[in-house]
Amino acid sequence: MSTRFDDRRPTELEDKAHAEAVRHFAEQLTQFPASRSAIDRLERDIAKIGLAANMAASKPMPTETVIRADDSADWHKSVELMENIFLCHRPITGGAEYAVVEHFPARGTHEIWNRGGNAVEVLRMFAQEQRQALQVWAEDMSAQVKEFLAEKFPGQDMSRVTDSFMHRLTRAVSQQQSQSDGQKHSRGVSI
Amino acid sequence: METIPKNNEQPSQTQPAPAERLAYSVQEAADMLGVNYFSIYRLIQRGKLKVCRALRGKLLVPRSELLKLLEPK
Repeated sequence: MSTRFDDRRPTELEDKAHAEAVRHFAEQLTQFPASRSAIDRLERDIAKIGLAANMAASKPMPTETVIRADDSADWHKSVELMENIFLCHRPITGGAEYAVVEHFPARGTHEIWNRGGNAVEVLRMFAQEQRQALQVWAEDMSAQVKEFLAEKFPGQDMSRVTDSFMHRLTRAVSQQQSQSDGQKHSRGVSI
Repeated sequence: METIPKNNEQPSQTQPAPAERLAYSVQEAADMLGVNYFSIYRLIQRGKLKVCRALRGKLLVPRSELLKLLEPK
């Protein structure tokens, strides 16, 4: 595993730039790992969550768990997966349908992300898409840091600072995830 | 004048922006929609929020896209 700034000690300017970037992007540096951990937990517990949803779908649910989603259907919330994101179910002929639904408080809407007849499959699809969304975030983060440093320190080569920042953002990634993502990344940022 | 409301404000309660912009950063979009960053990237990944890129590759959310999301359904 590479260390901060790799084999050469950071210059005073690089240290200053790194500290400023960390301060400027503090919120994302907190939210990014938290989101990644939430996906890790979801992937680890998919079978358990799927079972809980199956059990919830097999018995009558209280009306207060009902939400109206963007498909105009009523869904019962079974499990909260992340902040404002729920695994839901609704009865259909011959069984139940499951969906991952996100609540957007400002709009007051419920957006369906994934749906299907098998709770575990729905969760798996959702988790996979979350990894891809996290990848979009990581790549954008890298571009944001580059732009920030270019504006703050014009004319200076801050590539090592960007690399170090991204390392800090994406460190402690499982080897398995690195390998699978590494094949589809175009710009060398892995989560 | 059309303005983008922030968080839970209704459009009618919002003061007109001094200078309307064509696009906003993901951070600004998240603030306006009252969601966290990851929700915005989720919308982008699913193609529900169209974005463009600034010169250094940073994602920008066009004003028109934000307005679409802020419209009550």
